[in-house]
Amino acid sequence: MEKILLKNIENPNSADINEYKKAGGYGVLPKAIGLQPKAIIDEVKKSGLRGRGGAGFPVAMKWSFASGDPKFPKYLLCNADEGEPGTFKDRPILEKNPHLLIEGMVISGHAIGAEYGYIYLRGEYPVAKKILNKAIAEAYDAGLLGDNVSGKGMKFHLAVHQGAGAYICGEETALIESIEGNRGQPRIKPPFPVNVGAFSMPTVVNNVETISNIPYIIENGGDTYSKIGSPECPGPKLYCVSGHIEKPGVYELPMGTSLREIIYTHCGGIKGNKKLKAVIPGGVTTPVLPPDKIDCLMDFVNMPKHGSMLGSGAVIVMDESVCMVKVCLRILKFLEHESCGKCTPCREGTGWLRGVLERIENGEGSKGDIDLILSVSDNIMGKTFCPLGEGAASVVQNFVKHFRPEFEEHIKDTGCRIHDKKHASCIVHHES
Amino acid sequence: MITISINGKEIRLEKPMTVLEAARSAGIKIPTLCWHEQLEKYGGCRLCLVEVEKMPRLQTACTLMVADGMVIRTETGRIADVRRGILEFLLINHPLDCPYCDKAGECDLQDLVEKYGPVTGRFKEKKRKVPESLEDPVIVRNMERCIVCTRCVRMCEGVQGASAIAVIDRGGHSHIEPFSGGRFDCEYCGNCVSVCPVGAIMSKLHRHSYRPWQLVDEVETICPYCGVGCTLVVQVRDDVIKRVVPKLGTVVNNGLLCSRGRFGYEFVGSKERLTKPLIRIASKTHDASRVTHNEIFREATWEEAISFVAKKLEEIKDKYGSDSIAGIASPRCTNEDNYIFQKFMRTAIGTNNIDSTARTGFAGAQNFIENIFGQGATANIIPGLSNSDSVLVIGGDPTAINPILGLQIRACSRKGGNILTIGKVKGLRFFNPVSLKPVLYTETVLLEGIVTALRERIGLPGSNPNLEAGIKDINISDGEIEKTCGIKGNDFTMFMKILSESSTPSIVIGKELVQSNSGNYKLLLIAAINYLINGRIYLLSERANEQGLLDMGCAPDLLPGYRPLTFAEFRRKYENSWKTSIPDKVGFSIFEMMDAAKEGSLKALYVMGENPVFNLPDARSVEAAMKNIDFLVVQDIFLTETARLADVVFPALSWSEKDGTFTNMERRIQRLRKAVHREGMEDWRIISEVSKHMGVPLNYSNPEDIFNEVSKVSPLHRDMTYEDIEKGEAVYPYKGEPLRGVSEEIKFQVPSSKFQVSDKKLYLKLERPLFHSGTLSTKAPALVNIYPEAMARISPDTAKSLSLGDGDIVRVSTKIGSLELPVSVDKELDNSSVLLSNNFEGKGAFSLMEYTLDSVTKAPCIDYNEARIEKVNI
Ligand SMILES: Cc1cc2nc3c(=O)[nH]c(=O)nc-3n(C[C@H](O)[C@H](O)[C@H](O)COP(=O)(O)O)c2cc1C
Ligand code: SF4
Ligand code: SF4
Ligand code: SF4
Ligand code: FES
Repeated sequence: MEKILLKNIENPNSADINEYKKAGGYGVLPKAIGLQPKAIIDEVKKSGLRGRGGAGFPVAMKWSFASGDPKFPKYLLCNADEGEPGTFKDRPILEKNPHLLIEGMVISGHAIGAEYGYIYLRGEYPVAKKILNKAIAEAYDAGLLGDNVSGKGMKFHLAVHQGAGAYICGEETALIESIEGNRGQPRIKPPFPVNVGAFSMPTVVNNVETISNIPYIIENGGDTYSKIGSPECPGPKLYCVSGHIEKPGVYELPMGTSLREIIYTHCGGIKGNKKLKAVIPGGVTTPVLPPDKIDCLMDFVNMPKHGSMLGSGAVIVMDESVCMVKVCLRILKFLEHESCGKCTPCREGTGWLRGVLERIENGEGSKGDIDLILSVSDNIMGKTFCPLGEGAASVVQNFVKHFRPEFEEHIKDTGCRIHDKKHASCIVHHES
Repeated sequence: MITISINGKEIRLEKPMTVLEAARSAGIKIPTLCWHEQLEKYGGCRLCLVEVEKMPRLQTACTLMVADGMVIRTETGRIADVRRGILEFLLINHPLDCPYCDKAGECDLQDLVEKYGPVTGRFKEKKRKVPESLEDPVIVRNMERCIVCTRCVRMCEGVQGASAIAVIDRGGHSHIEPFSGGRFDCEYCGNCVSVCPVGAIMSKLHRHSYRPWQLVDEVETICPYCGVGCTLVVQVRDDVIKRVVPKLGTVVNNGLLCSRGRFGYEFVGSKERLTKPLIRIASKTHDASRVTHNEIFREATWEEAISFVAKKLEEIKDKYGSDSIAGIASPRCTNEDNYIFQKFMRTAIGTNNIDSTARTGFAGAQNFIENIFGQGATANIIPGLSNSDSVLVIGGDPTAINPILGLQIRACSRKGGNILTIGKVKGLRFFNPVSLKPVLYTETVLLEGIVTALRERIGLPGSNPNLEAGIKDINISDGEIEKTCGIKGNDFTMFMKILSESSTPSIVIGKELVQSNSGNYKLLLIAAINYLINGRIYLLSERANEQGLLDMGCAPDLLPGYRPLTFAEFRRKYENSWKTSIPDKVGFSIFEMMDAAKEGSLKALYVMGENPVFNLPDARSVEAAMKNIDFLVVQDIFLTETARLADVVFPALSWSEKDGTFTNMERRIQRLRKAVHREGMEDWRIISEVSKHMGVPLNYSNPEDIFNEVSKVSPLHRDMTYEDIEKGEAVYPYKGEPLRGVSEEIKFQVPSSKFQVSDKKLYLKLERPLFHSGTLSTKAPALVNIYPEAMARISPDTAKSLSLGDGDIVRVSTKIGSLELPVSVDKELDNSSVLLSNNFEGKGAFSLMEYTLDSVTKAPCIDYNEARIEKVNI
């Protein structure tokens, strides 16, 4: 497949504006700005593009809500928070192809009538920050940002806003709070950001990858784009694969490539030819899958049918040496640490779950503990303010669902077999 | 019309609202913890989850807006399970120390667990431990009990506007902390305490001293401190005030209080309260401050003291005439006390020599404004301020002087209104004010400039020829403003644009303006501005019943109902009702009393609930004047500086020990209620007794009796009853007649010479702190803990030039005296001012301030006292 998002990134100077232009970059921008905003939205609608931040919301629909709101000014926020463990798909765009993102933002800004854009960048991406700031400066110098973009009288300003390391700030309303200078916590919806967003104005929040599709769509037409990958949610998709895999990395493949194909065809299979034990297909809060469930098509429509979700497309592969209780515990530790504390079930429940899991992992579990964590998860599920807390409950439910015997074993044997044998291997590298 | 169904009950709604509000309107209770009617929606606790048909997920009733046809169930078995689960979450880290917690019995969490039943025994992990914080003088923080509902934070930020506390840390470590760390160092309104549903943020004042269910009595009354007149609920046990809380839904303060109202009640139970009448035994030449009160006074029985006073007053009246006697009324006493007091002076004594400290600003300013716009011009509804599209503030910081009124200005800003300030207004600095800060003593030029600009922009409407005549020749250009006042043209233009374009403006005037050089002329200019923009005037009032005492006729030129004494017709009316003659001569103002005392013509002075020796400028000469009076009677709750000079001291009952009414600055009359019992007499009763002994019986059995007489004789208060007042219907102009058609020509004096200022000089200015009010607040330990001692506030530059730091002791001297006190460096202060409050015994600013009287308002001008500061090495 022709690369759209990671085009040209083998070029060591791919982040440079001239290199980007040489490869045809910014070519469609003047044409795009010349179009009526509605025409752009229609084209995006035809393309069938869905948001790549995790929820898969149709992009054209979000845009038309914001563009239809009469309030001004409007804001376009690019979500580059990329905080979920295992997710690093936006990073190559940010570091290697920043101008693709900038071009996409200018066109998107024009489509929704936003004159101001922010890139909300993950706190732990200092390299990307430098590169983005340089690219933005280049774009300003080239007249591609500012009060008169490409000499067409369109105004679009862009700046990077760096987060301070909170995962929750990737959630769009918490992101808006953070941009406004407030504590990063999700807001009540409705009103939705498209009507009352940043500084109470209509705001579109889109993921880096989402926006990076826009120049291609405008250049080649929505119809062409819609023929790539899954018919229900077309386009290229960045899959970032990590864990016990021969060739970890970010892969641009058609949306709907099967999980098995990703692991065995593109990534060279399990490292050291070990046995596969489990895969988390879309970032740590998406339901874990056992080896017999990996013949699923990785897109927004098919994954739920197989009991999981596409999420961010962060595939985490675990071989037989991994203790599932420990992985579950590690994810819970992360979510407990990242819970913003706004709502009761998540604030209190994540810590409780972590506590019980810790006991089980340490061989201090007691008989009712598995039922207890299921019951506590149930008390969280469907009752939290935002998906983070529910994610924690879902993680526990799914790990127990697929690996219950391992949990039971821990309790019976008062400890972790693998752990004790010093085979412990923590997949999720996030130190709290 | 929106029709929904909740638990099978059909509910029709006129306007969109949340499911919770809809349920409440239909009397259906949905449990809540993070929701509070005064605060923005939050949706965090998840306790209000309900089932909504066609929605797969449970919904929080406090955030979900109703939609036509919605079918909602609030109490199903599933929901009960969910709520029990959430309560379990709230309790897993809770210390479960209810037996020891002051909140027990009125704790929302406790009540909810009681309702849904506990889930116990499932949590085996370690509980979160956080030590209780007792670092603050009045607020105890127990973060183990905190359920992170953020009600306190939303209150502090979104309503109080102080933004002093925040949620710190994340997730399970979330807790509430003041930005300054341990101590709150905030505005100490305590409104966060009011909204905390559990025992996490509580008042230290009553810590471990009672159980809510043991409170014997809850009495709704009015705050004793300032002219806003907030409703408070006084909670009592064993005749001791245990706590003061606000009440939701009250008109003036709707569930909010300030530091004074909430934490300032302990003066009532102070050990320093006077208990017995005292008769002087020491000679007056004694330095009263050096001796204990046993050396000055002996205790007497009521009978003895009353007949002694009556006899002495008779003697003096016979020997020197009625006008050799004067009375000072009290803005802290009730309308009934004050009515009786002026009636006593006018009938038993036979003089109009009656006045009060309202003369130091409020009385003259109100008179001036009413003379232009008619009676009631300042009687504007306080909550109305928040609906103004702009508020102009001049002459003081409303958030400190009348804090609850200040909140309405902050609310105005929050709702999108514009705040305009002249001079520095610290409490509004975070509310986006457009602020003009004229160079010292050039305010007049600025005001003239504003009048000029408004006249040019709007034109003279022609409806008030008197006023227009006064301002038609004023002509100050923008350039002159820039040159003289040091105000940039752009700032002035922006200010004028807002002012001239606003359609519902309000003007808030503080006493600093009235007490400044050319006060009357500035008032004229403000009146002109108000006239040109068609605004509403709010006159800040520092004492609870300043307005009431004037309306009761405690002024040398006013009869009850705010009727001018000089009109024979009014006098005759009162003569008929009182069946006695009233002298037609206007009496002494409070300052004239002091002059008369100094030169010896004032022989006797009767002071009710006031402390002129401290509360009048040039306090030391007031003291000398008092010592020169043959017979001084003081009625008070404490042995004040003035009482110490008295021949007879009567101990009075205080606020919360008696019934009556107060009239606030909106001229709303409100009921003050007795909450605790104490032996003794109310002010009005003591005076009636003295009067009776002088052969002029004033027979009333209770305050209502007195009020009924007021409503009979005062045309303003005609037909008003306690019942009307209790129903909240005593709003100006009542059912009576405001005074109309007697306005005279507008008297004012254009300042002749401009003040000579040098920027090298320092001037002593009066600080009006949020935490104090007169000397009363210094008898309230909580307020003293917050603001413990008099301090000289200076700017950082002044501090630097004298190598001074916070807490260094300095000597502040003026022409008439000096004081030694610690300094405090205040970033907000300009380099020409030293600020000192007039609250602390022996350290009052008034002891260093000379004054001149304004020729029109008769208010003292005190803004020109040059001061020196030097470091005192100890
Ligand atoms: C806890 C949480 C974390 C999230 N983190 C991210 C993130 O790091 N990056 C991102 O693009 N979207 C993230 N999202 C999704 C955003 O809320 C939002 O749906 C997305 O930015 C929308 O963009 P899209 O429509 O282009 O996908 C997160 C959502 C949640 C609930
Ligand atoms: S589920 Fe609740 S506490 Fe957790 S991150 Fe979302 S809002 Fe915050
Ligand atoms: S007392 Fe008032 S100002 Fe202080 S923290 Fe509480 S709400 Fe804020
Ligand atoms: S201190 Fe009280 S009001 Fe504040 S968050 Fe905690 S429980 Fe809520
Ligand atoms: S009351 Fe509705 S979530 Fe707290």
